[in-house]
Amino acid sequence: MNRRIIAPVIGIVVFLGLWELIVRATDVRPFILRAPSRIVSYLLDNAGDYARAAWVTGIHALGGLLIALVVALVVGSLMAASSFLEHATQPVLILLQVTPFVAYIASVVLWLGSGTPPVLFITGLVCMPAFAFATVDGMRGADPAARELLASVDASRWEVLWRLRLPSSLPSLFTAARYNVGLALIAAYLVEGGNFANEGLGNIGRRAAALNEGDALWAAVFAMALLGTLFLLLISVIQRMALHWHVSQRPPRPNWG
Amino acid sequence: MVADSSIVEFLHSRAMSRIVVRDLTKVYGDLPVIDPLSLTIEPGSFVSIIGPSGCGKTTLMRIVAGLEPASSGMVQLDDATPAEARSRKRVAMVPQQPGLLPWRTVHANARLLLDVNTAANPPDATDPMALLEEVGLGDFLDAYPHELSGGMQQRVALVRALALHAPLLVMDEPFAALDEITRAEMRVILARLVEGRGATVLFITHSISEAVALSDRVLVSSTRPSRMMADIAVDLPRPRSADVEDDPRFVALCADVRHALQAGRA
Ligand SMILES: Nc1ncnc2c1ncn2[C@@H]1O[C@H](COP(=O)(O)OP(=O)(O)O)[C@@H](O)[C@H]1O
Ligand SMILES: [Mg+2]
Repeated sequence: MNRRIIAPVIGIVVFLGLWELIVRATDVRPFILRAPSRIVSYLLDNAGDYARAAWVTGIHALGGLLIALVVALVVGSLMAASSFLEHATQPVLILLQVTPFVAYIASVVLWLGSGTPPVLFITGLVCMPAFAFATVDGMRGADPAARELLASVDASRWEVLWRLRLPSSLPSLFTAARYNVGLALIAAYLVEGGNFANEGLGNIGRRAAALNEGDALWAAVFAMALLGTLFLLLISVIQRMALHWHVSQRPPRPNWG
Repeated sequence: MVADSSIVEFLHSRAMSRIVVRDLTKVYGDLPVIDPLSLTIEPGSFVSIIGPSGCGKTTLMRIVAGLEPASSGMVQLDDATPAEARSRKRVAMVPQQPGLLPWRTVHANARLLLDVNTAANPPDATDPMALLEEVGLGDFLDAYPHELSGGMQQRVALVRALALHAPLLVMDEPFAALDEITRAEMRVILARLVEGRGATVLFITHSISEAVALSDRVLVSSTRPSRMMADIAVDLPRPRSADVEDDPRFVALCADVRHALQAGRA
């Protein structure tokens, strides 16, 4: 079978195996570290609840990522078009990236109400800067020969954007997407937890933490990890289709020295 | 008198361009790149400009193509300024780097210039498929640039320019990055493609034999700032094949160009 699937599976099995071994070999107490087998069996016993919650969190994260992407394409195009706008926007984007968004979850929930809107808002907000920077980089990196060529037949700004600059930014956008997956899931999880809507893995996690239910909390963590893996897989598949022309998608050639 | 404007347009787009340059100069900051330059290039002729690296050849080409303003003087392509000619898609360019879009197939790359600013396309614009077959890329229509050799990529770039049916073709050292054998092949392909097409060709190179083998006229530039040291007419018979290089007149003309280049360095 495909090495790209076997290798990660082996990696995870070895990691969980070591973890299990340490828990069994030592006398560590479960509230410090519990065995993965115990977490997995709790997860399986409550599979229905977790699947429903994971679906909600997955949709939240995906929605936030898409909103971030769309906003970032507009912001990034403007930044790439004008260095004044770029310099004016940069500090704000950095600010968004470094601010611990946990600090303003409560305010946003009060402002937008409970449920999906604050989750999408914050997830979109924190994922937007990486996409915007990637857009700017990709557009700036567009082949100068191709730019000159399009200029030589008086292609419009819009045509240059659509035919050259946007496709040129696809590789960096995919890199940003991989980075943003983790951010989007964590943002969705935390805002769900700070919400009154009682849905999503974040909500399960928050209640479990409040009630000191370690198994339930760790099961939520495992479900998040599974979601993250699924997202990365999805991105890889889309990337393989959309970037088939890019160096990153070619099989490594043997080096004949 | 009433004329059908589409017919006028059509005749226009088929016509060959006369290039008139008068007292053209170009300065970048304090750096003079082109000294006052005047020249006329007859419609339908193939003119090479040869000169040492950095002498201002690309700058001249970009001014003619309307991509860069002149500092003073004027350039006229028939009755149009370079900027007007550019917006009417009457200048087809082959840059030094092929500039192929990696996400487009060979066929789609060859069509690129027809896919933008479509309002200015010539009424008789046709699919570049036949041209691609003519340059031996018929089996690679659906291939992507990374699957092509350097010579094949440059052939796509050539077809992409010719597909515009523009009356003026400007080429900036299009074969400079290719190996000697591929260059010789490309020379023959280019000669075959432009002969009988009627377009005016402005060809920039730093290869003496390439200039003489392809041109009706070779202009030799000095080092920067560019001055024309010599204007050498090449009256070798057409159509030209690879054998033209065995002609004793070819050898003599190459020597003339070389001497002019040496004079331009002094
Ligand atoms: N945009 C620019 N700004 C400043 N200097 C330039 C610019 N473009 C070209 N030059 C300078 O003009 C000179 C001629 O350049 P170029 O026309 O590219 O030469 P060539 O094509 O003959 O090698 C060079 O010294 C180059 O550094
Ligand atoms: Mg040059």
